[in-house]
Amino acid sequence: MIDEFATVWEHRDLLLDGFGNTILISLLAGLLALILGALLSTALMARRKSVAGLATVLVDAMRCVPFLLFAYLIYYGLPSLGLRLSNWSAGLLALVIYHTAYMAELLRGAWLQLPSETIEAGRAYGFAGMGLFRRIILPPVLFAALPNLGNQLIQIIKDSAFLTIIAVTELTHAANAIQGTYFVPFAAFVGAVLLYWVLCLAVEAMVGFAGTRAEGWR
Amino acid sequence: MTETTQETVLSVRGLAKAFGANTVLDGIDLDVHRGETVCVLGPSGSGKSTLLRCINWLEKPDSGQITLNGSRIGVRPGGNILMNDAELARMRARIGMVFQHFALWPHLTVLQNIIEAPLHVQKRPLAEVLPEAEALLRKVGLQAKADAYPARLSGGQKQRVGIARALMMKPDVLLFDEPTSALDPELVGEVLAVMQDLAREGMTMVVVTHEMAFAREAATSVVFMDQGRIVETAPPERFFRNPQTERARQFLLRYAGAQPKELS
Amino acid sequence: MGLTAANWLALLQGATFTVALSLAAIAIGIPTGLVLALIRWQRVPVLAPIAAVLVSILRAAPAVTLALLIFFALPTIGVSLERVPAAILTLTLSTSAFNCEIWRAALLALPKDQIDAALSVGMPRLLRLRRIVLPQVARAALPALVSEITLLVKVSPAVAVLGVVDITRAAVRIGAQTYVPLPPFMGALLIYSLIVFVFVRLQRVVERRMALANEVLR
Ligand SMILES: Nc1ncnc2c1ncn2[C@@H]1O[C@H](COP(=O)(O)OP(=O)(O)OP(=O)(O)O)[C@@H](O)[C@H]1O
Ligand SMILES: [Mg+2]
Repeated sequence: MIDEFATVWEHRDLLLDGFGNTILISLLAGLLALILGALLSTALMARRKSVAGLATVLVDAMRCVPFLLFAYLIYYGLPSLGLRLSNWSAGLLALVIYHTAYMAELLRGAWLQLPSETIEAGRAYGFAGMGLFRRIILPPVLFAALPNLGNQLIQIIKDSAFLTIIAVTELTHAANAIQGTYFVPFAAFVGAVLLYWVLCLAVEAMVGFAGTRAEGWR
Repeated sequence: MTETTQETVLSVRGLAKAFGANTVLDGIDLDVHRGETVCVLGPSGSGKSTLLRCINWLEKPDSGQITLNGSRIGVRPGGNILMNDAELARMRARIGMVFQHFALWPHLTVLQNIIEAPLHVQKRPLAEVLPEAEALLRKVGLQAKADAYPARLSGGQKQRVGIARALMMKPDVLLFDEPTSALDPELVGEVLAVMQDLAREGMTMVVVTHEMAFAREAATSVVFMDQGRIVETAPPERFFRNPQTERARQFLLRYAGAQPKELS
Repeated sequence: MGLTAANWLALLQGATFTVALSLAAIAIGIPTGLVLALIRWQRVPVLAPIAAVLVSILRAAPAVTLALLIFFALPTIGVSLERVPAAILTLTLSTSAFNCEIWRAALLALPKDQIDAALSVGMPRLLRLRRIVLPQVARAALPALVSEITLLVKVSPAVAVLGVVDITRAAVRIGAQTYVPLPPFMGALLIYSLIVFVFVRLQRVVERRMALANEVLR
């Protein structure tokens, strides 16, 4: 078994490549999903009943969908829409669309907790529409949602592993490639799981750190 | 008022306990005789709760001996081997405890709360336990609440259930840790009345309390603690009229009615 | 969608099988999580820190990666599992870790004087656990446990990587037969999302029931 780990160590650049890809695609997906989720949350909170209702149905429906099947759907569905994307982009797109729904719901939760005076004070100072949302509502909502945003990022990292089935060369895919080429399944997958672990611990630590920093600014 | 005998039920010798660097009990000696009501007074943080919790080993003492009717608690006879969980449980079953915040089990009704331990610890048959439980509920004035859940009771009612739960085990001694200090003032009386009845009937009790009137009327002896030591032990008449130590005098000064308040 | 009745039936069977795998994992994972939580709660020497690290790693491990680790790597250390047991083991390990955290949170929320009261009437350890701790902790943990069931059902299509003929594999097969992969995945997604939706509704019912019950107890 020591030999196995030695082999993986020899080809660590493959694994680290995959690790880098996992980090890249997760962070990118997280960021885009957060931005789109923020926009979608305004629809969830819209005063027009029809808009809010439609957005709620969409978000609730998406939250019932398993990510793996969704990723397949995007992967096979895009070409029939006339879109030719690389596997990597298709995977990213799947992550972004899927997690936008979760981000929106999560921000809505924090928004509902916001004291109504905050918003009224914003209106009193002449903020309205997008300006009101961006300058008055979003900052405290993001702050309140921070721990949940961290959890969602961890969820994105874990979901990114599903993308191995559409041959995105992320960490799990790299581990699978190493084990297939050198027949070292134990070391390859243990290595991958440990790298996921490190990544999740890092996200948790950063959220904790950001939380205490933000606490200090208040 | 009570026939106290010289028979020692509970004896504490050289009890010491520290939490980290904080010495909380510093050589406590205490004897409680059958039928006695010992009231423990003292300022906050003086170690009263810790003393009670060490007596039934809810807190493990650092050193000292605790003896209940001649048998050591926490340590096996004749040796320095600590009791295991089951042995400790058997000892604790003989010591009742009433908690400041009642600690009733919220998932059980009043009746279930008080028959729980007799049924499952003492393994007595329900047919035998039930009449006793009903009699006891009548005694504390809660027969109508037998099937209510604790959340539906007032604080005073909860504490009377707490007392009934402890009494069901027919303990050799009953420990009270500030049984009325979590209660609204108007509910204190009903709990003290039950305790006074018990004292009169000859129950052996150790009562940590800030109710000076209760201590004066019901105690057979008053123990005053400060900074982890017993500073003074006296019959209540003498303690309240003429405390021997300066610290006890100062403590009593802070309680209106104990001594005339000095005008500033 | 251009799926035949036989296709729909195959998808339905696949979905049933996936859900059955999840339910098996849940049936094992809830008590396993409790045992892990009790080990940590009681600070059992040696075992408690091991359990803590194990749970932390498992929570960070993506289901796909974990499945591959178990299926390909266990034979290296002399344990070789069939596909179905490997799938159940994967889901069980994952859900046990999350259930451990749920149970532990409930245990930590139990007021200390509940145990003190049990000790004071002479209850030995197992009796305390059975009569005082578990009934209260189970009530507190139930909504989160049910929510974890939903989450597990949602990730369980991941076991498709093991070649188990579950919902995902059923869709892949139909796609391979008809050379049009999109429709079977749309069908699979529809069926499976409806199943998840049922679990979500169930979760709401439990939450409401528990809220009513807690009215009486608290
Ligand atoms: N479990 C514990 N861990 C650490 N310190 C403790 C613990 N329990 C009690 N202490 C400390 O021991 C000291 C005595 O506490 P104790 O509760 O016995 O006092 P007390 O006389 O009952 O006070 P009060 O009248 O406020 O109830 C306090 O300084 C307290 O902070
Ligand atoms: Mg106290």
